[in-house]
Amino acid sequence: MPGRIHVVDDDDSFRTAMERRLKLAGYEVATYPSAQQLLDCLPDENEPGCILLDVRIPGLSGPELQGRLNELGSTLPIVFLTGHADTPTTVRTIKAGAEDFLTKPVESAQLLEAIERALARHVMARSERGKLDEMRALVAALTPRERQVFDLVVRGRLNKQIAHELGTTERTIKAHRHQVMEKMNVQSLAELVRLAERLGVLGTGNNLSGRSP
Amino acid sequence: MIRIISIRGLIFGLLLLAPACLSAAERRPFSVLVLDQSDLRGPFYYQLSAGLRGVLGGNADARVTVYGENLDLTRFGGATYTESLKLHLQEKYRDRPIGVIVAIGAGTLEHTLRWRQELWPGTPIVFAMLDETDFAKLGRPPDVTGVVMRIPFAGAMKAARAVVPGLDTVALVGDDWDRQVLFSHWDEEIPAAAAGLKVIDLVGQKMADVRKRVAELPEHSAIIYSAMFSDGEGTFYPPSTALGMIAEKANRPIVVGAEPLLPAGGIGGYVLLPSEIGSDAARLAMRILAGERTEDVAPVTREAKPLFNWHQMQRWGVSESSLPEGSQVHLREPTFLERYRWQSLAVFAALFIQAGLIAFLLHERHLRHDAEAESPNRMSELAHVNRQATAGELSSSIAHELNQPLGSILANAETAELILKSADPDLDEVREILADIKRDDQRAGEVIRRLRGYLTRAPFETKDIDLNQILGETFEFLSVQASTRNVALYLQTVPGDIRIKGDPVQLQQVILNLVVNSMDAMAAIPYGRTVIGRVELNGGSTAEISISDSGPGIPPDKLAQVFDPFFTTKDQGMGIGLSIARTIILAHKGRIWAENQSGGGAAFHFVLPLAA
Repeated sequence: MPGRIHVVDDDDSFRTAMERRLKLAGYEVATYPSAQQLLDCLPDENEPGCILLDVRIPGLSGPELQGRLNELGSTLPIVFLTGHADTPTTVRTIKAGAEDFLTKPVESAQLLEAIERALARHVMARSERGKLDEMRALVAALTPRERQVFDLVVRGRLNKQIAHELGTTERTIKAHRHQVMEKMNVQSLAELVRLAERLGVLGTGNNLSGRSP
Repeated sequence: MIRIISIRGLIFGLLLLAPACLSAAERRPFSVLVLDQSDLRGPFYYQLSAGLRGVLGGNADARVTVYGENLDLTRFGGATYTESLKLHLQEKYRDRPIGVIVAIGAGTLEHTLRWRQELWPGTPIVFAMLDETDFAKLGRPPDVTGVVMRIPFAGAMKAARAVVPGLDTVALVGDDWDRQVLFSHWDEEIPAAAAGLKVIDLVGQKMADVRKRVAELPEHSAIIYSAMFSDGEGTFYPPSTALGMIAEKANRPIVVGAEPLLPAGGIGGYVLLPSEIGSDAARLAMRILAGERTEDVAPVTREAKPLFNWHQMQRWGVSESSLPEGSQVHLREPTFLERYRWQSLAVFAALFIQAGLIAFLLHERHLRHDAEAESPNRMSELAHVNRQATAGELSSSIAHELNQPLGSILANAETAELILKSADPDLDEVREILADIKRDDQRAGEVIRRLRGYLTRAPFETKDIDLNQILGETFEFLSVQASTRNVALYLQTVPGDIRIKGDPVQLQQVILNLVVNSMDAMAAIPYGRTVIGRVELNGGSTAEISISDSGPGIPPDKLAQVFDPFFTTKDQGMGIGLSIARTIILAHKGRIWAENQSGGGAAFHFVLPLAA
């Protein structure tokens, strides 16, 4: 799978070696001698890619960069590469969503495998993100009343209960509910609930802007 | 003038008296009459009578009554004088029974023998100071015994030859021979004894002349002094006084014949000891008083003994070895050691003790020197053990430092492989890759070399080093460890080199121990773990390095102990890291201390002298 690999390592020699190897493997390569440089020039998320990140870099460290990218909502998968893998750091980075954690010296096969996985995941993440964006747009198109009905319906409330809660008639709720199904482009209640779940509506109450980690 | 009566003239008379002598069988009165003939002022007679009285008065059980009369025959003489003496004695001792008469001197004996018939018939006579030649002439009158002296002129010559090597001249000094008490027989002996030598005969001359002559004697000469009793111009004195006057002027050693003349200036010779003669005579008298028959009490003979004056020997440069065999040296000046025996012993003892003490202290010093020489080795060994113990701490750093170049090498090698497998390999790139591989390989080698340097046991050595570099390398080394332990590590150096003299490995160890100690101290705090290393220059003379942390600090009561060996607050610590750090800093002529920062956390400081 083609893609752009972003190599962040303070070791010139290692950056060069990686660049050579990855280019030979058919990837595009961008190198950064420090984490800050990558932050200063954020990679384009829309093309397939991943980050090869050293743990120990002077200044902003690898795990710190990971945190900052997460904060920025980056979808680029991160493969950590370190000279010495200690357990606390490994656990920390994996929990923070790292694609892989490799120890130098790493064999090309292992590295390329990890890169392939990372790229595939980036593609998936990007398409997932596209769908979600679509769905968010549909939700945004609902009227406030329809949105209220939507929130309550996906939580399993009956029309009668919703009417009582909103202070209106069961018939009016039925009409709103039909509108919601139409606007959200779903055929069944089960489909609607699944969509709500993916958008994070259920877990966080009314908050629809929740990021999926 | 006195006339000493010739012994020769007496012999006939004595022979006539002999048959009239009393038997000694009856009990004798316990009294002794001592008659002597000489000047009482002289030491000779004083010593003689002392010897005499020592024996006579020494018998406490039977006290002997001692009477003494001085006939003064050296100064008085003549028939009238002797007659008046006789009358005086006759009257004086009319009612005093006398057991034994001790007659001292040939003249006295002569008179006594003459007077005995009349004054003390049958009373035994013990003579003293009778020369053997006179004694031979005397024969053996009845009831007469005594001490015979043997003092030949040959003895005087032998002594003169001993004290003057290559003797060719003798000067004879004394009163006329016929006035001599002890030495009158020398007159006849001189020609034989002094054969082959030049003889300067000053006998009978006036004192003034004698003093003049003895001052200008030739080199290989000796003076032989018999006795002088007057200056020849009417002044009388004891022979020792006369000798003193002569010795004052004499330019050559003076050989004498009587022991009392030694202190007066005689170098010595074969001499008579008057005290011995006195006690001999007294013993003979006591035997007679005790009841022995005079005939059974044989005369005893006293030989002149070789006796020399140490002072005069020194003056004339005579060594003891050149003296005749059996010689004694008198008047020896006590040597310093003899005179100050106890003081010297005390001083020697003190010196000995002092020497012992000094030896002991030198030994101690030697041991201390050895120990001092040994202590850097000990420190190096201990430091080595400590470094090995901290090697574990460094393992992550080492792994990281090694894996970094190894990672590059592997990637490059695989790339090169692929390039070479391709149909049209880009050899330039392969060349580049190989150069990179080589460089990375050297990097890895350098890591290993540094590690070996750190872990090898090496003796303490001082080099010119840059403290900034030492600090930088150590912090670099520790950075992996720090990130693992979630510790932020900062280093603030000063621009330029900080030149000091020291052992780079050991100083790295100090920094490492301090930083690891700080990281350990912060293990329990949840966040904000920070270690700051800082360098400051104090003027141009010292550099101060401080390692501060954000941990809980050191309990104030433990601040003084943290550098003590085996002091630890950690469960698994040996308590050796900080102690080693202090030992190393002290070996670098620096100092190290710990304190708590006002804002919390502990700070360790050490100061090192800058290289001149």
